[in-house]
Amino acid sequence: MSDQKISVATSLAPAAPQKHRVDPLAIIVRFQSLIGLVLVAIGGVIFSPRRHGEILFLNPDNIANIVRAVSETGIIAIGMTFVIITAGIDLSVGAVLGLSSVVTASMMISGGFGLIPTILAVLAMGIVFGVVQGTISTRFRLEPFIVTLAGLQAARGLALIVSGNQYINISYGDGPGLAPPVFAVLGERLFDNTVPVATIVFIIFAAIATIVLNTTRFGRYVYAVGGNERAARISGVPVSMVKISVYAITGFASAIAGIVHAGQFNFGSANDGMGYELTAIAAVVIGGTSLFGGAGSMVGTVAGTIMLGALANILQLNNITPATQLLATAAIIVLAAVLQSLVRRREGLGR
Amino acid sequence: MRTKTGSRVLRAALMAGASLCIAGSAYAAEPLVKACAKDGQFVIGFSQANNAEPYRQHVNDELTAAAKEVPGFTLQIADGAGNVNTQTSQVDNFITQKVDILLISPFEAAPLTPAVKRAMDAGIPVIELDRKTVGDPGKDYTAFIGGDNFKIAQEAGKYTASKLLPDGGEAAVLEGLPSSTPAVERLNGFKEGVKGNSKIQIVAEQAADWVPDKAQTAFAAMLQAHPDIKVLYASNDMMAAGALLAAKGAGKDVKIIGTDGLPGPAGGIEAVAKGDWAATFTYPTGAKEAIDMSKKILLDCATSVDTTVTVDTTAITAENAKQLMGK
Repeated sequence: MSDQKISVATSLAPAAPQKHRVDPLAIIVRFQSLIGLVLVAIGGVIFSPRRHGEILFLNPDNIANIVRAVSETGIIAIGMTFVIITAGIDLSVGAVLGLSSVVTASMMISGGFGLIPTILAVLAMGIVFGVVQGTISTRFRLEPFIVTLAGLQAARGLALIVSGNQYINISYGDGPGLAPPVFAVLGERLFDNTVPVATIVFIIFAAIATIVLNTTRFGRYVYAVGGNERAARISGVPVSMVKISVYAITGFASAIAGIVHAGQFNFGSANDGMGYELTAIAAVVIGGTSLFGGAGSMVGTVAGTIMLGALANILQLNNITPATQLLATAAIIVLAAVLQSLVRRREGLGR
Repeated sequence: MRTKTGSRVLRAALMAGASLCIAGSAYAAEPLVKACAKDGQFVIGFSQANNAEPYRQHVNDELTAAAKEVPGFTLQIADGAGNVNTQTSQVDNFITQKVDILLISPFEAAPLTPAVKRAMDAGIPVIELDRKTVGDPGKDYTAFIGGDNFKIAQEAGKYTASKLLPDGGEAAVLEGLPSSTPAVERLNGFKEGVKGNSKIQIVAEQAADWVPDKAQTAFAAMLQAHPDIKVLYASNDMMAAGALLAAKGAGKDVKIIGTDGLPGPAGGIEAVAKGDWAATFTYPTGAKEAIDMSKKILLDCATSVDTTVTVDTTAITAENAKQLMGK
């Protein structure tokens, strides 16, 4: 199912940016995460435990489980792709997810707000958080690494303040102190109990982001800023605006992920989303987006995200230790980075 | 008359039928797991909250040891890595695998509740270890085995009030990861426990996220601000170990209380035996109880089990620490 969605997204994407010549290695790198996903899927089928001849890995429940588990980090990775294409980084995403889930829970439970105002407020908060980080970074010419590292601490601190050091359970029903039952749909599956709602949010967000990145002027600006900032500035690209916007996008994405988290788990805690920033960055890099900026694809990120989830799944189905899982992920990240570096060298862009 | 006889016959027949039904259902009470068998092979899936905590590693070790003694049992442990999303997907994986029993220590209660429900719906008995999900044991999950964080910390508070500081004085608390369930329960339990002695003041409470390095830093700062702290309650053994370093560094003699009572050279039992800490209160793992219950369900075809098994804490003090060290 997920593969289908990806191919839909691929057809939306225009042809790869023009290169001097067609390099087979470059093509492999461009589609490395898709290739990786296919390889992991084949490996999953081969090594999957079977029951009565049924391949457990391909069991519809299992596929639904894989795509549900990656939806939150996937949403964040999509936002992160914009930032990394501009040669930036955003370390605050996991913490903003935690802050968003806490604010979502406390607005509905202790604040008595309705569903729509809560969601709008949380999304606005995520955007504002990103805009502030982007503005500080561009105005004072600070490394985004350090600004968003501070943002991470700030968001966790705010989350602890908002939650009063407590975890906030979300209970459903009508009346004050209860969340509208429709919010719990985020933890359910639609279409005859097959497709997790969290995954639908992820796929819709991915589709919109793909269109924005590949077909709009803003998308071209994002590539331009990451490719060569000075050239972009000279040719009239509003560089600061673009940079601030991409952090607004990660803030927005983290807020969506936080709302999805709260709805899926009926819960808001300041500790939610810990370490998600690193999973998201890994998915983006495996997806073929260069940390040096200027190159990358949304489809790759989506495939990279699902690949990491499928890998974790097949390892657990075979009862392989978490340690091996970490080592496998490490190997894949290194492989993805090495492939990219080889392409850069061949194109004479080695940095 | 005829109708009356007829109705009487009918009624008698109905009653006989009804009593048969009752007898029938009582007789055929189904075992919790239909495939149960004395010499069967069974897979027990354990969904652990976070392997990175030494206490949880201790649980894993005890469970592994207990499961090994049952020839037909294979134990699979999945590490939720302190992340409710990861843990949910691991529970779903166990359901896909159709494990015979699911053991779980949910990282947080509400978030893991739907996953536990899915397991129950799939016909897999769920035994919750140490932490519960939302709902009632026996209905929403098969059983709960564990200690009571609040009571254990309350015991530590009472011990402080009556034994360590009977004449009152200043006390401090190191909390676990703020906003995590056990951290909140242990903090509240200790405060409740010391209330019995109004001359005790809690002058400082800081979060040290369960880890020793943060505990050392936090307690060193506390001792700077409040040099007269006489007792420190640490919400786990690791933080108590960190606090001891801070107390030594400041040259203070502070009575330290840990929680968990972990074995081994870095654990609380040995620290109390050496006289470094005043006491530690064990947090029982319930591992042996969980495997015993699994045996009842899978090997003995039990039709019901105790739905709540509370394993009591043991106060480890200078009197009994040396004895317990070998265990």
